Amino acid sequence: MVLEKEVLPFFTWLLRGEGATFADGEGALVLFAIVVATVFVLALVGGFLVSLVRHGPIRAGEIAYNTIVGGVGELLRTSFRRVAALAAVAAKESVRRRVWVALVVFGLILLFASWYLKANNTQPARLYLSFVLTATTYLILLLSLLLAAFSLPADFRTKTLYTIVTKPVRAGDIVLGRMLGFTLVGTVLLAIMGLGSWVFVNGSLAHTHRVDIESLEALRSPDGESLGQRGLTSYDVYHKHDLTIDTDGSGVAEGAHSHTHQVTQNGDRLEIGPAEGFLRARVPQRGKLRFYDRKGVETARGISVGNEWAYRSFIQGATQAAAVWTFEGVSKSSLVEYADGGGEYLPVELIVRVYRSYKGEIERGIQGSIQLRNPDTQVKTNLRTFYAKDATIDSFDFANEQTSTDQLPITILEDLVTPDGRLEVIVQALDRNQYFGFAQADCYLRRPEGSPLWNFIKGYLSIWMQMVIVIAVAVTASTFLKGPIAMLFTVAFLVLGLNREFFVKIAQLESYGGGPVESAVRMVTGMNQMSPFDPSSAVSVMKGIDFVLAKMMLGLSYVLPDFSTFLGRVNFVAEGFSIPADALTRDLIVCLAYVVGAFVIGYFCLRAREVAK
Amino acid sequence: MPAEAVIETRALSKIYRDFWGRQKVRALKALDLEVYKGEIFGLLGPNGSGKTTTIKLLLGLLFPTEGRALVLGKDATDVSKNERIGYLPEESYLYKFLNAEETLDFYGRLFDITPEVRKERIEKLIKLVKIERARKRQLREYSKGMTRRIGLAQALINDPDLILLDEPTSGLDPIGTREMKDMILELRDQGKTIVMCSHLLADVQDVCDRIAILHQGELKELGRVDSLLTVEDVTQIRARNLTDACQNELRDVIARHEGELLEMANPTTTLEDLFLSIVSDSEARPGRRVVGTAAKADGG
Repeated sequence: MVLEKEVLPFFTWLLRGEGATFADGEGALVLFAIVVATVFVLALVGGFLVSLVRHGPIRAGEIAYNTIVGGVGELLRTSFRRVAALAAVAAKESVRRRVWVALVVFGLILLFASWYLKANNTQPARLYLSFVLTATTYLILLLSLLLAAFSLPADFRTKTLYTIVTKPVRAGDIVLGRMLGFTLVGTVLLAIMGLGSWVFVNGSLAHTHRVDIESLEALRSPDGESLGQRGLTSYDVYHKHDLTIDTDGSGVAEGAHSHTHQVTQNGDRLEIGPAEGFLRARVPQRGKLRFYDRKGVETARGISVGNEWAYRSFIQGATQAAAVWTFEGVSKSSLVEYADGGGEYLPVELIVRVYRSYKGEIERGIQGSIQLRNPDTQVKTNLRTFYAKDATIDSFDFANEQTSTDQLPITILEDLVTPDGRLEVIVQALDRNQYFGFAQADCYLRRPEGSPLWNFIKGYLSIWMQMVIVIAVAVTASTFLKGPIAMLFTVAFLVLGLNREFFVKIAQLESYGGGPVESAVRMVTGMNQMSPFDPSSAVSVMKGIDFVLAKMMLGLSYVLPDFSTFLGRVNFVAEGFSIPADALTRDLIVCLAYVVGAFVIGYFCLRAREVAK
Repeated sequence: MPAEAVIETRALSKIYRDFWGRQKVRALKALDLEVYKGEIFGLLGPNGSGKTTTIKLLLGLLFPTEGRALVLGKDATDVSKNERIGYLPEESYLYKFLNAEETLDFYGRLFDITPEVRKERIEKLIKLVKIERARKRQLREYSKGMTRRIGLAQALINDPDLILLDEPTSGLDPIGTREMKDMILELRDQGKTIVMCSHLLADVQDVCDRIAILHQGELKELGRVDSLLTVEDVTQIRARNLTDACQNELRDVIARHEGELLEMANPTTTLEDLFLSIVSDSEARPGRRVVGTAAKADGG
């Protein structure tokens, strides 16, 4: 799977981020404190200036003082009892506005999904999971947006708020009550959608085959001893499996379309069981990647094959070019015992992006090799060759007992792992003028798998967090904007959050075509993105405005949630990887930070507003 | 000992402005007012005179442009004062998707009231405002009169010391109006302070102890209803069963004392009294046409 950003350990992310120490100020905690302080100062100065214009300096000072002292004091008197009552009414309001229609829509989407989802896909689980998770995400975000953005403005319009704010209800109770109420409704809907999705995915993937009797042939050892049978299954759901059956009648329908089946003997009949292994929750232990170029010189990256997306870089076949991953913390616990108890092995998985400079034998795959190496002693295992097919996951089980390139018996733990637990995996392409492309996340040591159901729930938890952020932002926007405008505001927040990286790129004036004004000029005049402008005062003004706008955009980017990261979590589930606990904890903290921030802003906005105006 | 002031306003002013801060209208001009504990105080005035603005300022729904309002000893913008306040808005702005019980339970939960007391009060208030049979119906199905009743019930859920009623009889039929007025008097008898604003002068006259008359945002008159309405130089005598001779004799007495006889005639009843009498008779004896009889009975 694609993992463009490394998932940092939680406390590293919180305290120092990409920086070397806490003092570098790149940790999430420091950034949060800077954003909070900036927003506070801006709000205070802005509010004071508005009051100054309207009421004069003395009254403006009094208002600013009361807002801070009275506001903070009142904020602390937010009552759970009142919040619960207001949340219950918000939830009832949603239910009586027939929010459950969303479930009907979701049901219809699932009903008709099979018309459009191609069952001949080689990774059907990824297809179905990706579909249900994406459908759920967009449906629940739309629903929460509509619920949260229009509720408070409707109360202003119908004046029902008059009867609430004339009770001992603080603005904070109202804001938090709405957020909580809509979150409750959204959570229930999301849980039902999750259950429906799980049933849908499992139901859609469920199938079995028959044994193709005519294809069966006996397997014998060189001395004529019977080893069982080999053959094929019937062709169902656009695929069939190779069968291997032991002498006792048990066997396995080998991997095809990302799953297997168990084979059992029932009397004199061979029966194929249900599909297994569609849903996975792989737990990878990732290493650091570096490359060797075609002459064997170490480099940070491989070569480019002309792809604009620079996520992967490539190594050339039949040269000394290699991709080398260094894993840390390798120990006995990294090894897995064989099912038959015959020793231990180190499970390594590899995803290869194949780039062919000529077509070659398309069905065969490109030949490559993989070795394990001790980073200190340079002792390495014999070449193990394989045929790589593009973008599929290849598994390699390295038995603990290996033979070195000097043909000496070695073991992984004693000879290949350094005393501090490091081990290298070296991959090369062997076919001349063919290329393998790798990113750091493409090779990993496979740890014991997690539960696919729990991973699925974690995926839904990720959707839930997006929903909570949207609700919090929409409720806050609705404290000072009318319903449709609050909705547009939240949509803008969401869209910019989904494209945050691009937004930051524009804000840093690194995108093609310049800043917002320059891009607009280029569009209107039909000028391409690369041609420079002739120097003139108008161009200087344009660039000056862009500079100011870019700074403002950069400031705004600090408060934009990175929704693409949340969507990325959903990809973990679809690709069959367990969502790391560090990522989930980080997302929860980010979600909490947005809720708290939105709540405080919403509280002050509502408190400063004349309800009856 | 001077009466305790429940509401005090000092030079309370309100200017409505547009988005750009420009003055649109001066709704209230330097209002000085005191409302004392245990009285029914009426705010009178034509539309746009500043009655509702005053109520909203007292409730903290609006912020004063100048001046100050103290309610129960606290600033009007202090939320904690609302613990002891009940408010019936001009229209009953309630959640239409809730039924009467849910409505009262919801508003009750906003106060620090134990569940037992809340339940007890809900029962009592539902009976008081006579909506027992509609307690499970959503408010969207309520008539205007029923909506006013549930509105009053929600205003009383916290057993408030101060009740602010904005046009309390608006939308009520004559029976509802009479019941509302009786309830207001009963609340006053329980020691509560009531501030009501209305443009229905008869209602204000019937129940208010003191009134303030506002016009174009300014206070024009303030005082006790009985003293404000007393016509000092006119004497009214009401008697029953006087003969013509006796009436002539009275005319002579007035003339002899150089008084001016303004009127001596059989009085008419009010339309409200006639209506209430007919309805009450009709309820006692269904199917019988009572027009005339009731008038005679009452007037004669």
